[in-house]
Amino acid sequence: MIPAYIKIMPIIFPVFAGLAVLMLEKKRNEIMCAWTCFIATAINLLLCASMFGKEWDLIVPWGGMFDFNFSLRLYHFSSFILLASAGFGFLISLYSFSFMNGKEKINQFYSYFLITIGLVNGAVLADNLIVMLFFWEGLLLTLFGMIVIGNKTAFRTAIKAFIISGIADLCMMVGIALTIHLAGTMSMSEIHLQISSKTAAAAFLFLMIGAIAKAGSMPFHSWIPDAAIDAPLPFMALIPAALEKLLGIYFLARISLDLFKIGTNSLLSTIMMTVGCITILLAVMMALIQKDYKRLLSFHAISQVGYMILGIGTAVPAGIVGGIFHMINHAMYKSCLFLTGGSVEKQTGTTDLTKLGGIASKMPITFVCFIVAAASICGVPPFNGFFSKELVYDGALERGRLFYFAAVLGSFFTAASFLKLGHAAFLGKSPDDTAHIKEAPLPMLIPMITIAALCIFFGVWNYFPLRVFIQPILGEHRLEGHDFAGMPTNVMLIVVTLVVIIGSIMNHIWGAEKSGSGLGAADHIHDAPLLHTIYDKAEQRMFDPYEIGMKFASWLAKVTMSIDKVIDYIYNVVVVEFTYAFTGFIRRLHSGSYALYVVWSLLGTLIVVLYIMRKI
Amino acid sequence: MSVLLILVPLAAVLIMNLPLHKLMRKLAFWVGLVLCMLQAVLIIRMPIGFWNTQPDLLYRLLLFRPFTDNLAFVMFLSIAIVGFVSLLVARYAIENDGSKLFNFTNLLLLAMAGMNGLVVSRDLFSLYVFLEVSAVASFILIAFNNGKDALEGTFKYLVLSAVATAMILSAIGLLMTVTGSVSFKTLSSVMGPNSGNPVVLLAVALLLGGLFIKSGLVPFHGWVPDAYSSAPSATSILLAGIVTKTTGVYALIRVVTKMNLLTHQVQVLVMAVAAVSIVVGALAALGQSDFKRMLAYSSISQVGYIILGLGIGSNLALAGAVFHLFNHAIFKSLLFVNAAAVEKQTGTRNMDILGGISDKMPVTGFTSVIAFLSTAGIPPLSGFWSKLIIIIAAWKAGFHVYALIAILASLLTLAYFLSMQRRVFFGKLASGFEDLKEANLWILVPACLLAAITIGLGLCIPWLLNSFLLPIRSIL
Amino acid sequence: MTFDFNMMNIFLLALFLAAGVWTVLTSRLLISAIGLAVTSIMLTILLFLMKAPLAGVFELSVCAGLITVVFISTISLTKPVEKSEVLQLKMKRLKRFVFLPLLLFLAAWVLFAKPLHLTNPAQVPVEQTTLQHVLWFARRFDLIGQILIILTGVFGVIVLFKTKTGQAEKQDNER
Repeated sequence: MIPAYIKIMPIIFPVFAGLAVLMLEKKRNEIMCAWTCFIATAINLLLCASMFGKEWDLIVPWGGMFDFNFSLRLYHFSSFILLASAGFGFLISLYSFSFMNGKEKINQFYSYFLITIGLVNGAVLADNLIVMLFFWEGLLLTLFGMIVIGNKTAFRTAIKAFIISGIADLCMMVGIALTIHLAGTMSMSEIHLQISSKTAAAAFLFLMIGAIAKAGSMPFHSWIPDAAIDAPLPFMALIPAALEKLLGIYFLARISLDLFKIGTNSLLSTIMMTVGCITILLAVMMALIQKDYKRLLSFHAISQVGYMILGIGTAVPAGIVGGIFHMINHAMYKSCLFLTGGSVEKQTGTTDLTKLGGIASKMPITFVCFIVAAASICGVPPFNGFFSKELVYDGALERGRLFYFAAVLGSFFTAASFLKLGHAAFLGKSPDDTAHIKEAPLPMLIPMITIAALCIFFGVWNYFPLRVFIQPILGEHRLEGHDFAGMPTNVMLIVVTLVVIIGSIMNHIWGAEKSGSGLGAADHIHDAPLLHTIYDKAEQRMFDPYEIGMKFASWLAKVTMSIDKVIDYIYNVVVVEFTYAFTGFIRRLHSGSYALYVVWSLLGTLIVVLYIMRKI
Repeated sequence: MSVLLILVPLAAVLIMNLPLHKLMRKLAFWVGLVLCMLQAVLIIRMPIGFWNTQPDLLYRLLLFRPFTDNLAFVMFLSIAIVGFVSLLVARYAIENDGSKLFNFTNLLLLAMAGMNGLVVSRDLFSLYVFLEVSAVASFILIAFNNGKDALEGTFKYLVLSAVATAMILSAIGLLMTVTGSVSFKTLSSVMGPNSGNPVVLLAVALLLGGLFIKSGLVPFHGWVPDAYSSAPSATSILLAGIVTKTTGVYALIRVVTKMNLLTHQVQVLVMAVAAVSIVVGALAALGQSDFKRMLAYSSISQVGYIILGLGIGSNLALAGAVFHLFNHAIFKSLLFVNAAAVEKQTGTRNMDILGGISDKMPVTGFTSVIAFLSTAGIPPLSGFWSKLIIIIAAWKAGFHVYALIAILASLLTLAYFLSMQRRVFFGKLASGFEDLKEANLWILVPACLLAAITIGLGLCIPWLLNSFLLPIRSIL
Repeated sequence: MTFDFNMMNIFLLALFLAAGVWTVLTSRLLISAIGLAVTSIMLTILLFLMKAPLAGVFELSVCAGLITVVFISTISLTKPVEKSEVLQLKMKRLKRFVFLPLLLFLAAWVLFAKPLHLTNPAQVPVEQTTLQHVLWFARRFDLIGQILIILTGVFGVIVLFKTKTGQAEKQDNER
């Protein structure tokens, strides 16, 4: 029997450590903050590792009259996510040692870092929908805080992130309310609903919006590229790249596997797949034309979510396993890519691709890590991204050629944009003043190397993650006897994938020759007749749902303002005047004469007597 | 053993007044503090069985078995805490020329003994006797400084108390003629069959009227603002925190529940009075510019909430009422402690003169925010939960209008406290207070203690509710 | 002993009423307070004679004793009325009877419109007990309360009178 205080430790411990960090005086204690954070994440990692594979429940009755329990549940899936997020937290806190050194508001950064980990652990462990919502909403605050401490324009981005996530969370709140109403219980492990009515479908859709918005899917994505520029880089590597994906996809998988049963060929499944495909394509198209290291990566962070949603949306075993596998793979290679971006930024002082170039020889280890991670994201065998993408393709093909085609097309552009990125940043001509550039310091290299090594490990020995981590999540009966470990069985798919990759390399060579530089390798796509105008408008944020929403909101604000003035008048003038008139009246009544008071009391008593004796 | 709670303070007072040594007079303050602390600690530590057992010797001495239940526990605890705080504030506010603090301590112990006696009493007449003890002690405590205002306040309290006493005594007399007994046990069994008896009804009406005066409910409240605001700070704390609550509210709860008085008719009456008190108290508080007077009106409004809970009558409502009683003892004491600090440091209670003193008196400003948020019912402070329980109980019992009134009056509470906070503590420092200093430890310690209780209780509510508050139904 | 208790009672009742009226009507507060004390004493004697010793004891200690103490101490702080204000005050004193008609009306309504059928309820046999018996055996617990009240009264006297002289002078100086 594990005592209760151990069970809540993954939540309590990081949060309290975070609060402790916040109390440290920032000027003198930069090193203290970093060490505290590092040690706390290390302990958290040990804690979560020791919990892996165990199963327990914790139920604390919370307020007798509401039938509301504070309940946590650890089982295979949640312990896996717990372990993964603790691992990323640990590595990135190590990375932050060097990266955050000398930055402002460093104690706030570490504090939010730790609180975020605690809240993520809470949201993953929670077995009560309301409790989960509590932690989920709490993440909104640390998200806001972490963006805000970035550069000068960060505040605007933070507001944007806050509003977008807030709206999505609102949807999820509605979904949770509907689900509780339908199921009659708040306990997630007891909810198994069939999508038989429109209400149930609506509940699922609302919950899905919450989940995919957390994961960063379109149309809830537009704050991520902005944050990539404004927020501190470890934040990008930790939160949008790793933790939010883990959490969002975890919840998406929970709702579509556990809470609701999404059948193959159902409308909801098609909706999810469509959302996935659109996200893949649109985001990758945007990524292709970016001229900033971090911004380019951030569009990929959106695009890759599409694969996960597509995979889980297929509702067939191959797709689901692929989607979840892709989630963990993506978290690895994308955080690794962001970390390489961070070390480039730290060492060269910029992430603008037009000013970078030829640093591969100066930063060889970073470059190797970049190649491994980029190969993974492009789906080059034998790296991990290849295997998870093949599984998603397999699932998509089972459901329809169109989805498969969209996914493969996305893969083509992914490869193209990474060829461009690698070429422009690491190869090619170097600008003049690159002599002083050195390899990144060791604390930044260790996380990158570790993650890159894991990318290879998860690819070559893919039966380990698949059999130990992912397939048990579905359980025997859902797997329908499949075992997805090892090389994909469908040779046609592998051939298509290889053709696509080779095609994309040829495209890159052609484009680079045509424009004369690695950076311009995608210009022929950018400048294609119809696409060009669309791209221009997209760059001006014409398609950003947030901007459109804000325009509508400001119009709405004007209308409501005039209504509000009337209401204001009623509240501020009529009600207040009335209250004051009444108050004054009462005040005048209290003349201070004791005789008057006695008379009041006697009259009161008389009324009491008359009222009580009325019966007779 | 709960009889000891009366006998020990009494013995302490007697011993301290023996002409033994001058040292005793100096020690008196500490003796009082220790006794208050002892009461609080023992109440928390000792199980209920301990208080209900009684050695044979004590029984033969007194021919009386005390009565202790969860409600009595809450009262003992509030009495101890408020007494403790009041004594500390007395040390701070009353200039220590030796005899004054000594007299104050003695009177406080006597008042505490009286209130403890009221809590353990098992019949109507004992209730009345101890009611008188507490009342007389508080008359003198109000008039303690012999100022003109204080004597005027005492006088008003005295006159209305006399009216109340007359009513209660008449009621006891009338009941005695019918039943021949005054013990709650006999009375409760007699109430049912005699519910149509005009004499009994008259007695009930008079009893309610008398206790309404003692509780300070509208329109029986005339004495409350004057007595509370004119009394010395330490007495205000005692009076607002616990004396009115014990002599009025507790007695009302005890009498109504013990004697099975809560017929539909009484229920309507009690709830109507409660609702009027809530609204009128809050509205009147809004118009005050004297710090303590505003707190006094706020007290009237809060007592209304407690009585509302009593009127609803369900288990949940009673639990809420008792919890609010305790909370009110805590946060209203805290506010009066802050008022004492402000009055002593600045020399005025007029909120129009004060302003922005939070910069100079940060602890006082902060604890005052905690207290008023709790009073206004802002989560997660304890006041929120007790109000919530009362409102939920009202809603469940079908009294939707009353629930609505309670919620709206909460807004009024917030309004007048915000205005108080803004006028006294926040904003720009008013001219003339540049050299203001924070009060000393004698007042910061109780303020922090009370604020901690308010926050702590609010956070512990799940455990508190199941383990302590809901069992209060046992008084029914 | 052929003393007529009834006559005695009626006589005392008359005295009681007279003292009460005197208390209300007199224009000087001090006399009014003394009147109150006399009223209380009359009531106490009445209670004793009518075999309600318990009520008598409390009436004596609470009303006659302590309340008078506090009354007098309050009054001693007030200033005597100046002649110019007398007429004004007389008018004011009349004002206190404003509610009298209302009270009378309500009382009449209670008494006549809805007559109380005061059928004699279950008559309790009056036990022949002495004061000592009642206090010592039936209500020993209340004796503690009695002791407390007396002690409180003593402190009241100490607090309100012992320090009063100095205090009053100080206040006069301040004015």
